[in-house]
Amino acid sequence: MTFNSFSYFVFLSIVFFAFQAVAGRYRWLVLLAGSYVFYGFLLQPALLAILGFVTAFSYLAGKRIDRSEAAEKRKNLLFFSVFVNLSILVYCKYLVFLVENINLLAGLFSPGSSIPEVEPMVSIALSFFIFQAISYLADIYFRITEPEPHPGLFALYISFFPKLLQGPIERSGHLLPQLGKPYAFNYDDVRYGLLLFVWGLFLKTVVADRLAYFVDPVYDNVQAYSGIPLIMATYAYAFQLYFDFSGYTNMALGSARIFGISLTQNFKSPYLATSCTDFWRRWHISFSRWILDYIFQPLQMKWRSLGRNGTALALFVTFLLSGVWHGANWTFIAWGMLHGMFLVASTFYKPYQKKIHKILGLEKSSWHTAFQIFLTFNLVCFTYIFFRAADIQDALYIVNNMFNFHSNFLSIQNAGLKDFIIKQILSDNSKYELLILILSLATIFAVKKYNHISLFDKPLLIRWACYYCIFLGILSLHVSAKPNFIYFQF
Amino acid sequence: MTTEEILGRMTDVFRDVLDNDAIELSRETTANDIEEWDSLAHINIIVAIEQEFSLRFDLIDIKPLRNIGEFVDLIERKTS
Repeated sequence: MTFNSFSYFVFLSIVFFAFQAVAGRYRWLVLLAGSYVFYGFLLQPALLAILGFVTAFSYLAGKRIDRSEAAEKRKNLLFFSVFVNLSILVYCKYLVFLVENINLLAGLFSPGSSIPEVEPMVSIALSFFIFQAISYLADIYFRITEPEPHPGLFALYISFFPKLLQGPIERSGHLLPQLGKPYAFNYDDVRYGLLLFVWGLFLKTVVADRLAYFVDPVYDNVQAYSGIPLIMATYAYAFQLYFDFSGYTNMALGSARIFGISLTQNFKSPYLATSCTDFWRRWHISFSRWILDYIFQPLQMKWRSLGRNGTALALFVTFLLSGVWHGANWTFIAWGMLHGMFLVASTFYKPYQKKIHKILGLEKSSWHTAFQIFLTFNLVCFTYIFFRAADIQDALYIVNNMFNFHSNFLSIQNAGLKDFIIKQILSDNSKYELLILILSLATIFAVKKYNHISLFDKPLLIRWACYYCIFLGILSLHVSAKPNFIYFQF
Repeated sequence: MTTEEILGRMTDVFRDVLDNDAIELSRETTANDIEEWDSLAHINIIVAIEQEFSLRFDLIDIKPLRNIGEFVDLIERKTS
């Protein structure tokens, strides 16, 4: 049951009316039961058991860490509880990958020797709620937060259905107080939540899923293309990923808001970032804060005697691990390493940046800012080649052939380009899709500019005209193939 | 060293590390008040403060700090 399915609308309505109908002291129970039912719809009893175990274990471990006074004991308890949580994640998500690579390596040194292969396991949502449990334990250890006394509220903090499958990864200090506070019906919250949800649905089903038409044919068969199609498909993927994930996030935020709960916004116009560092302040914010607070900062602190080299090393390791978090595949590891390398380069460049800009007179140049945005966007798109490609071979093929225009690519002598233009852009169906995409993107720009919250200040007629437009737009223009959310796999 | 002296020297460090001469620190200032003070810059500031006051912090000292006032108190405790 994903956010873009009819069953989710039914589910959300039932939970909402049950939430309103029960007495205040049982409202958390409605949300908790709803969250477990929601996760149960995946029909994976093992995942439900793991969710229950991680919740119970982290609840007790948090109390234990808090009760311990001796610094050494607190530290050992933290390491043990993080180790247990991570072991579950590694076992479910990375074991197949580890065994494959161990066997590959063993084959090089001693042909014929191998360890038995293991069956892949479903690990949907694991990396999100386990990261949340780890942040809770670390925050208790660092005395940033108190342990939650109410086991039911803690269970809800871990499993709250709007953010269970794909985040945002919420800090206990932000979400738990909201879950525990008395609820009072607020019409504006419900209205804003529903609008946010519907807007997210539009981004996902009309825009992101439509962009897939221009991405999938190329990325599913990269060897058939070279030059422009590879570049265009990669640009299209950058926007597909953004609208898919930000669409999902809006739907998560909207679902939570109708219960009076504000989740963390994950995006802040990421493709307007002026550097790769700036990109990570704007992209998947709840995740980037997590890796920076719980991986980068401890490493940077540990290696601070190495100065700038220590910072660079800490950044590289952090982003390498961020690649690993995204999935057990060398493509994600390469993606993380590329981001790590860009950030390392910016660490060494930064001390000279201001001086160079001053010498070249670029300090207040809007052209220079535009160039920085263009460059950052292209670097990010380059990393997406690895993020999207089916395997490393495909990714390397794209890297080697994306600028292979042959001698005269504009005359459409390039078979790949000709094929791409005829099949993907000029066919009747594609022209229609392209037109819808352009109109949708224009709508998104208009909404960004005029901010949809201000819609509520408009007269009734205009408000309802907008609601109908979005609603009819989704009904008539949604892509019926209903692909899943991209971040669902992580 | 008085609280004002510590705050003054900290302000210089913040301006230098975050490359922003407009920064003014008070006991109530938090990371939310200074745009450049994010997770990436945080430890750079801590390390520069360590050098400024010839101190050494552990992560567990600095993680619970909620505002500049608590940071000043920590420096006072460590230097006294």
